[in-house]
Amino acid sequence: MTVPWEELVCAALVGADRRGVPPESLLEQAAEQVVRTRAGRRPGRGGPPAPAAAETLPLVPGAAADRLARMLGGEQGRLLTEWLETAAARRVRVPAELIPGLLDLGARDRSIRAYLGAVTGARGRWLAGLNSAWAYLLAEPAHVPPDEVWQLGTSGDRRAFLAALRRRDPAAARDLLARGWGAETPEDRTVFVTILADGLGMADEPFLEAVLDDRRREVRQAAADLLTRLPESRLARRMTARVRRFVTRRGAGVRAEPPAACDAAMERDGVRARPPAGMETRGWWLQQVVAHTPLSFWPGHLGMPPDEIAGTRIGEWEREVRMGWTRAAILQRDTTWARALFEAEPLTDLLAVLPPEERSQRAAELVAGHPVDGQMVMMLGGVPRPWGPRLAKAVLKKIVETTRTQPWNAGELVRLAGERFDPAMHTRVVEVPELAAILRFRFDMLEELA
Amino acid sequence: MRRVTKRWGQVATRGTGDAEPGRDRAIAIAGTDAGGRAAARRAQAEQREGRVAAGLSELERWLADQVAQGIAQARQTGLADWDDLARRLVDAQAPGVAGTVARLSRVLHAEDWPGLLLGEYALLHLLAVAHRRAAALPEPLRQTVRARVGFPVTRESVLATAAVRDHWDVVGSRDEEQERLVARRVWLAGRTTGRAAMVLSFTPAGQPPDASLALGTTIDADLAFYPGASPLRALVAERYGLADAGPPPGTTVSRVPALIAEVLTADPWADSWPLVLAGVVPCLDGLADEEGNALPLHPSAGVPWRLLAVSGGRPVTVAAEWTPRGLLPLTTWDEEGGVVRL
Repeated sequence: MTVPWEELVCAALVGADRRGVPPESLLEQAAEQVVRTRAGRRPGRGGPPAPAAAETLPLVPGAAADRLARMLGGEQGRLLTEWLETAAARRVRVPAELIPGLLDLGARDRSIRAYLGAVTGARGRWLAGLNSAWAYLLAEPAHVPPDEVWQLGTSGDRRAFLAALRRRDPAAARDLLARGWGAETPEDRTVFVTILADGLGMADEPFLEAVLDDRRREVRQAAADLLTRLPESRLARRMTARVRRFVTRRGAGVRAEPPAACDAAMERDGVRARPPAGMETRGWWLQQVVAHTPLSFWPGHLGMPPDEIAGTRIGEWEREVRMGWTRAAILQRDTTWARALFEAEPLTDLLAVLPPEERSQRAAELVAGHPVDGQMVMMLGGVPRPWGPRLAKAVLKKIVETTRTQPWNAGELVRLAGERFDPAMHTRVVEVPELAAILRFRFDMLEELA
Repeated sequence: MRRVTKRWGQVATRGTGDAEPGRDRAIAIAGTDAGGRAAARRAQAEQREGRVAAGLSELERWLADQVAQGIAQARQTGLADWDDLARRLVDAQAPGVAGTVARLSRVLHAEDWPGLLLGEYALLHLLAVAHRRAAALPEPLRQTVRARVGFPVTRESVLATAAVRDHWDVVGSRDEEQERLVARRVWLAGRTTGRAAMVLSFTPAGQPPDASLALGTTIDADLAFYPGASPLRALVAERYGLADAGPPPGTTVSRVPALIAEVLTADPWADSWPLVLAGVVPCLDGLADEEGNALPLHPSAGVPWRLLAVSGGRPVTVAAEWTPRGLLPLTTWDEEGGVVRL
């Protein structure tokens, strides 16, 4: 008697006239069925997910949670990383309802993932298991090292375990790694190699040399980066033999000639054949070979101390050779070279190699003698928090000056200072209200998390 | 703040069934003595009845035409047609129906749009017919029809009805911006009466909306309901105080169908009703009880991640708006009893 709903829809689509049905009657039947269907709908079957594991960490205090919610809403959003870093160090977890917002941020910003692994607790990992966009979280250590973590733990737990073992007993960590090497994923292999940087020595050389035969370029490169820190390594000797022909003393200066080809042996040693966009291919090879040569080779080879080498004109390929040395100073954590190269050209990345006190001092000098521009802000961006008193003083002076003369130029520097100054300074920067406000915010934020 | 909200609450009621102050003012200026004013108002009301009746009989003809010719072209021509029709209905002083027509475009996003559109056309047809035959309807249903059509109801007449006193849990709220106004819906649930209520307020965009009903609180108050067969919209007539009562009691998944059937039996056009569900486990696409019976979520709701996060796969209390296409989660309460807006 009742016309099936699908038939009514069909008739309405093609037109009631063509079906010979009065349109009013069609509408009336449809109305009756719509209401009946809506009123008579029975619950379907739902598949609730398995419950999450119990939490092991205490919840963050209420005031701190409220502030985090406001920050996620946009208030002082740039300070979010510091909030997360502090909460992770305090071993507290965030309220569950804030986890999805945080995990969305982590999907875009790798730098906060390690903190998210710690502060989102069991609930975070449970959610990461339900949403593939958040699966990265499962690779972060979770502050819960269970027994047999090396066999059964998440990727992140195993990394944390290996790092801890490496700190205690470097040889044991290397042997553990070597035993199951073939079964590890390429991503894990890359990270595991970098963990060996802690306590690196010639005892690691045979293992790392073997890793140069890995199928994955990232893994090979990680091994090559470590081997360049060992001047006695076979890789270091091969690089030295190569570079000897490419960079030579010419009179008072230095002359460079890039490799003619990138052969298989070079690729095995971590040299990438394909240059990044916009870079000349042979120059790219030259830069990488220089970057992977032990810096101790150069004074003998060129007959000059590092500070002289850093100031020498090279002519053609100068840019590539300098970039190579800079990269080498960073990879090999060589303070002498970093200092010499920074004198010649103040590159932010080099500051990271210097001890904190000196880093602060050099940055302060630079600030005093430079106008506020993008380059200065970028340089300062490379100096991690907290900035020492000397640097803070220099930056504050600069901000006050700039605010007076070019207020439109001070904004970015003020915000950066707000992130990096010691927050206890909030009472001493009243002449710059925006800076005082950010520092006050951080001061309260850290108090709440204490 | 409250006074500002109130003033705008009256101005901003085009399409929501309240009085029209601008029109009243015009009448007040036209008539000089009290008797003249009343006569003018009567004439105005009669004129409106005539316009609405004409507008709705045009709507009836338009709907019959659409269905006679076939609605297959709605995807191409619908937007312009509905815009035009909605404007004519506004002119006919039937803002309620005009709003329904203006919102028809929403169905086009769905894969099964022909069925959804036929359903909407059918309910519009039902409303137009019901208005034409209003004299034969029971009084509450007649009020429902008039409210859906868009006849104004004054605050005074609502406040003059018998109020319902209860401890009302503020279980959900949602703001929606429309024509430079923010419409705030606040849903309440009565502890003793078990009644549901919805308080609607308007604020100009950019100004803080009425915050007198805070989510998660419980107020001891008299509520006056707008007339209708399934009354939901209400005004707070009198507040006696704030009760500290914790999370609201809720119903179960298995009781929801009967509740919704009751609402729809009284008001077949009902497309929104607040529910408080206790002991439900949120899933990726629904709310399930412990036997696995689940109420589906509205397709536009997406995966309720915040709700899932709070639940952790365990039963929680959830307030949600029922709609014909599924639930829209509004609020949940965490383990500590804290209220979480979704």
